[in-house]
Amino acid sequence: MARKIVYGLYNSEEALKSAIIEAQRKHLEIDDVYTPFPVHGLDALLGLEESRLHIAGFVYGLIGFLVAFLGMSWINTVDWPIIFGGKPYWSVPAYVPIMFECTVLFSAVGMTVTFYVVSGMGPGVKNPILHPRITDDKFCIAFDAEDVSESDAMAFFKATGADETGIKIIGKNE
Amino acid sequence: MKTYTMTSKEKNVLWLLMGIGIVSLILSYVLDDMPGKPRFWSNFLLNTLFFTGISVLALFFLGASLVAYGGWIAVFKRVLEALSLQIRIGIALFAIIVAGIYLDWHHLYLWAEEHIVKTDKIIKGKSGFLNPVVYTIATFGILGLWYYLAWSIRKLSLREDAEGSFGDFRFARKQMAFGAAAVALIGYLSTIAVWQWLMSLDPHWYSTLFVWYNGASWFVAMASLVTLIILYLRGRGYLCYFKADHLHDLGKYIFAISIFWTYLWFSQYMLIWYGNIGEETIYFKTRLNEYPILFYLNLLINFVIPFLVLMPNTTKRMKGTMWFIALLLLFGHWLDMYLMVKPGVLHAVHELGGMSHGGDGGHGSSHFVAGFTFPGLIEIGVFLGFLGLFLYGTLRELSKASLYPVHDPYLEESIHHHVV
Repeated sequence: MARKIVYGLYNSEEALKSAIIEAQRKHLEIDDVYTPFPVHGLDALLGLEESRLHIAGFVYGLIGFLVAFLGMSWINTVDWPIIFGGKPYWSVPAYVPIMFECTVLFSAVGMTVTFYVVSGMGPGVKNPILHPRITDDKFCIAFDAEDVSESDAMAFFKATGADETGIKIIGKNE
Repeated sequence: MKTYTMTSKEKNVLWLLMGIGIVSLILSYVLDDMPGKPRFWSNFLLNTLFFTGISVLALFFLGASLVAYGGWIAVFKRVLEALSLQIRIGIALFAIIVAGIYLDWHHLYLWAEEHIVKTDKIIKGKSGFLNPVVYTIATFGILGLWYYLAWSIRKLSLREDAEGSFGDFRFARKQMAFGAAAVALIGYLSTIAVWQWLMSLDPHWYSTLFVWYNGASWFVAMASLVTLIILYLRGRGYLCYFKADHLHDLGKYIFAISIFWTYLWFSQYMLIWYGNIGEETIYFKTRLNEYPILFYLNLLINFVIPFLVLMPNTTKRMKGTMWFIALLLLFGHWLDMYLMVKPGVLHAVHELGGMSHGGDGGHGSSHFVAGFTFPGLIEIGVFLGFLGLFLYGTLRELSKASLYPVHDPYLEESIHHHVV
């Protein structure tokens, strides 16, 4: 699925923010915004929803917690009961550190994997870069040519004082 | 509204709270039939410790934020300053406890009883540190030093208001130096203070983690009380620069330190449980056998509930939730301190032969002792009284100066504080 992206580069986050406001005023649908560092207030400006990744993290953590707790309970009481230091078979205080570790491990690994899958990242995936300077000092607004026509986008970039503009086809089988 | 004034209604409510406290103290004195009035004195010590610790931790939080360039606190810095100055109430209250040791008013501390020190080998071995003289010097010296630091920071902050100007860092730097001193001196000296005031209630027992655990408890209680004061003032129309973002960060503090508290609580518990050495396990055996409800309630209130409630992003930004959590945790950590104070005091009563039954603490089985086994109305009343006293001091101090440090170089940053 190839997509034609029309993008413009701005010099500062202030210019970027005012351009976004201008685009919204003109009802131009922004495909995405790229910045070299997190810009405060950008999420609210673009109306982005809060990520649901942490809900996944909670569920993974809960799974890890239960795996450790139920697993150790089963091993120490049913499967292979051994007396350690005169303690009862089912000694919950001794499980707590492992329950904690498994909670952290499951939620961390689970969230990482989820994030990679959701973002379409993984081994062998090539990441299309609109412009190398987005990772350095330029702030980018990108339009999908299907939503906003090329001429509209270019006129908008010119009007809002974009430093540089360009067109790139991304997502084709390279 | 830049300056806060106490309304007569507020004053009346706080006087009422203090009245309840005094009535409860008198009741606990009159109703206490045990020799040495342990119920009265343990209530007095418990609340003195709890609220003095909150003031000290307010100074610690203020100092740590100053040192770390924590500019975000500037909009509510005056609340921390005012609360930290209440160490002086703590000094006055501790003066009564210290006087009681010399004048034999109370028998809270076994190591202060001469005949016990003579016969008890362990206490005798510790008597170089646990004795009335060191107790007196440590209490007044350490509290006095902390109060001096709180007073200096406050004075510099007020001078900054009067003499400073926009972008003037002179006073901020000096405050930072005092803040650094406060962090270091509270960090080191609190160990001595807490050993003397609190851990020595169980003089045979010791735990190297105890002070941290206790300090974390105070920290959560302090953050909760500060949140309550701010939300109250916010509700009355003051502190309008205090936004959801500040509340969010305070919520993070409460959340994080609650987990830290649990970590320390559990580290202390598990090592003792695992090691299974009689003289160490007795501490938890007493609490588990004779205070089972409080023991588990403590963990439920102070860990499970804040952990689950404060975990999502949104709850920390909601005033209602924060009211609820702050009130709950203030009371929860009071219960935690209740569990640190009361069993030791009751044990001392048994040891001094004040009660025919029980013997030595651990074997005392689970019979109900009013004011010890479970906090009664009198205990709650004393708590409310001390709360009223410390709130009165704090609000009175708040009304003496502008609610905003107008020339604080970080004020602008704090007003634009933004999280998420």
